[in-house]
Amino acid sequence: MKFRAATLGALAVAAWLLPYGLGSYSIHVVNIALIYALLAIGMGLAMGVSGQINLAQVAFFGVGAYTLAILTTDRGYGFWAAAVVAVLATVATGLFVGVPALRMQSHYLGIVTLGLALGFINWITNASVTGGADGISGIPLPTLPGIDLSSEYLYYYLELVVCALGLGFGLFVVRTSLGRRLRAMRDDSLAAGAMGAEIPLLRMTAFLLASLYGGLAGVLYAGLIRYVAPETFSIGNMFILLAMVIIGGRRSLVGCVVGAIGLTLVREWLSDFSTYAQLGYGVVVVLMVVFAPTGLAGIPSRAKEFVNRRRHGHGRRAEADDRARLRPFQPYEAVERPSSTAEPLLDIRSVTKDFRGLRALDDVSLTVAPGEIRGIVGPNGSGKTTLFNVISGFYRATSGQVRFAGRTTTTARPYTLSLLGVARTFQNLRLFGQLTVRENILVALDRTRTHTIWQYALWQPGVVRRERRLRRRAQELLERFGLADFAESAPGSLPYGIQRRIEIARAMAARPRLLLLDEPAAGLNGEEVGQLAGIVRSIRDSGTTVVLIEHNMGLVMSLCERVTVLSGGGVIAEGTPAEVVAAPEVIEAYLGDSALADVPRPQPVPAPAPAPAPAPEPPGGSPPPASPPSASKEASR
Amino acid sequence: MQETLQTLVGGLSLGAVYALVAMGFSLVYRTMGLVNFAHADIAMIGAYAASTFYLTHRLPFAVAMVVAIAVTAAIGLVIERVLRPLENKDFDLMLIGTIGFGIVLQAVAILIWGTTGRAVRSPLPAAPLDLFGVRVRTYDLLVMAVAALAVLGLAWFLARTKRGAAMQAVAMDHEAATAVGIDVGRSNALAFSIGAGLAALAGGLVGPMLYVDASLGGALGIKGFAAAMLGGFGSIPGAVVGGLAIGVLDSYAAGHFQGYSVLVTFLVFTAAIMIRPMGVFGERTVSRA
Repeated sequence: MKFRAATLGALAVAAWLLPYGLGSYSIHVVNIALIYALLAIGMGLAMGVSGQINLAQVAFFGVGAYTLAILTTDRGYGFWAAAVVAVLATVATGLFVGVPALRMQSHYLGIVTLGLALGFINWITNASVTGGADGISGIPLPTLPGIDLSSEYLYYYLELVVCALGLGFGLFVVRTSLGRRLRAMRDDSLAAGAMGAEIPLLRMTAFLLASLYGGLAGVLYAGLIRYVAPETFSIGNMFILLAMVIIGGRRSLVGCVVGAIGLTLVREWLSDFSTYAQLGYGVVVVLMVVFAPTGLAGIPSRAKEFVNRRRHGHGRRAEADDRARLRPFQPYEAVERPSSTAEPLLDIRSVTKDFRGLRALDDVSLTVAPGEIRGIVGPNGSGKTTLFNVISGFYRATSGQVRFAGRTTTTARPYTLSLLGVARTFQNLRLFGQLTVRENILVALDRTRTHTIWQYALWQPGVVRRERRLRRRAQELLERFGLADFAESAPGSLPYGIQRRIEIARAMAARPRLLLLDEPAAGLNGEEVGQLAGIVRSIRDSGTTVVLIEHNMGLVMSLCERVTVLSGGGVIAEGTPAEVVAAPEVIEAYLGDSALADVPRPQPVPAPAPAPAPAPEPPGGSPPPASPPSASKEASR
Repeated sequence: MQETLQTLVGGLSLGAVYALVAMGFSLVYRTMGLVNFAHADIAMIGAYAASTFYLTHRLPFAVAMVVAIAVTAAIGLVIERVLRPLENKDFDLMLIGTIGFGIVLQAVAILIWGTTGRAVRSPLPAAPLDLFGVRVRTYDLLVMAVAALAVLGLAWFLARTKRGAAMQAVAMDHEAATAVGIDVGRSNALAFSIGAGLAALAGGLVGPMLYVDASLGGALGIKGFAAAMLGGFGSIPGAVVGGLAIGVLDSYAAGHFQGYSVLVTFLVFTAAIMIRPMGVFGERTVSRA
């Protein structure tokens, strides 16, 4: 920490003293580099942090610069008034360009944003208000009391301050609630939605941030050069900007700044060989994505990892296992169970879901009372996960109605349901891979709505205070689930059983009223299954209703008060575990018709044993084996 | 009416070129899930190579074209080999990697052919035909005919040959394809080189219609891309329909909005793709989160 503060101080002093050592041309180059740094931060926020491929950043830059130029030269605005309008205009453009992100992602978004950027370039080259190919000259000098900004040396300080504030704000966003949600969305937008992140608003926010920085850069550029022309905002420059972000490291804003400044300087240095320079950074981009996808910013941590692996032979996991271990779960305080006569918490009324020709759910009706632990079982492909996806808003039912806590939620989106109190886990684990375990928990703990981001603009202490509160609760939760030792690990580096527990902890972080567990025992060993049963019981005792899909019959029999059996998309049986395993339809669904003929009528099984395993099995044969998570394709459907 | 028809004919011939570009995109995308942003620049290299062999080395147009296709197919093999470690892993990184290759190819083009462009004379010098009062350039007819042949040839290859079937299998499930003994790497390399060859065909054909310079790829590529999306990414008939649609849209925009044609084209395109993100023939790929 001290070291960091010292480095920061040294850098600040160096930046402050820099102009004293530079000639008039060099300072000009540095000024350009700082403008590109601002652009790169915006690009990093959209692409690296939020995962929104944005190839229109150069157009945002252009909108800012051109708006300022037109307002000052044509409409007689003062520089700063025009600057404010220019930034607002850029943000409006950014929101417009971001609209397609609501409907498409990845390469689709890349093409659309690139196309819109081309359209913008086409417009400024041809419109008369923009001066056509000649551009606009005679932009007035920005004025600041007491500072003569016509000197590029003094302009440098203006840019330095804006850049430092921009970087500081960017880092603040990335490290607090908003940035964490954006990163969660980047890693897995479906899971982020299920944790209450309002994905459409967040995507727009990503473009808002990118265009904000683009507009600021545009204003500074127009004030510095005092002339704008289309060639500054070309697609070629867009790709150079992309190269800066990739080479520097798209996920690190500091990396983006380093990449932008570095590449601008190298480009200037090689300006006599510009074609070779272009060839060079094209090659570097290719090498970077293949060999160092995290860019320059990622090299220190990769190097550290490499050294660690060398030193410890078996790699980091073995080393981590020495010190860190999974601690026992500390049960929640039990609350009084609501009376069973209460209104059902979840009420599914004849829901049908079709995928083209395939009917995955056929007239399914189901009610779950508050405080219940409900098991859903059925052969593979019987529609269990589809049912979860309908309940949690991932799929919209073709017909029928879903009601949760007295409200109709048939068409609600995942984040709405999450905010209403539905949490879920996923059959094949959907943790946010690039976030630490603690951050995974924090994403779900954060129950604020996206519109509270006004605080980032106007009342940052509010953000900090909320952050502190969230971190305290995250620590409590990590300790409760015995995960405190792994708080700073990447989830992907942990053993499977621990990842499963993290997912339950993350779902519980949202303090849900209804918890949907999709095959929570898949891939767990016997001991872990026992721990799981204890955790689920405690969760129910804390007042959260639980519905779980499970193939491990032992667990279902011992844990659930009622069991619903699905087969071929329809409910074939419902009742206590003992009733269900005795139902002929169930035996038929699991074992087939001919098997039924040979099996004697099963005896009712005694009341569920308290111990999780070994548990009574359905008579007439062993239960279907717990399917390994990768083998099942249900969730990917 | 006459004017409308005239615009339509002009749009269709450019549309045929866009369709070829889109087909190359789609073939590579469906086989290996890679969106090749360098595709446009490969087309540009193809255009330069074809024009060089045709104008400088005085080869017949068709022969020049075949040589250009061979050259770009080789480039395609190189790109595929370098980016192979990323295949089926990180989509965005692969996308950026191909953008990197695009930057390299542009620099190479400037190093070899300089920054000044060149005009290519039409290999068919005959006067325009007059069909019901609409003037049709003979070269436009040639372009449409070649494009149609290429579409049919590709469709035949994918449907009727063993290699084509293997490529389809890889497109559907690369792991299952490996399990039945298909060399996925080789299949991808083949797809990539065919894609690059199609790009060169498009570039070579467009040479006599437009001006050949290093920025040709940008114009051709982004519209070819738009065509692929409009038709449905990964679908061959979609590429054809999308290509023709973009060509006609472009041609109308140029007629009615002159200088703003690119802006209008992309605004209309964005609106269309918002309404139907999966395109005309595409599968549903959009997440509802």
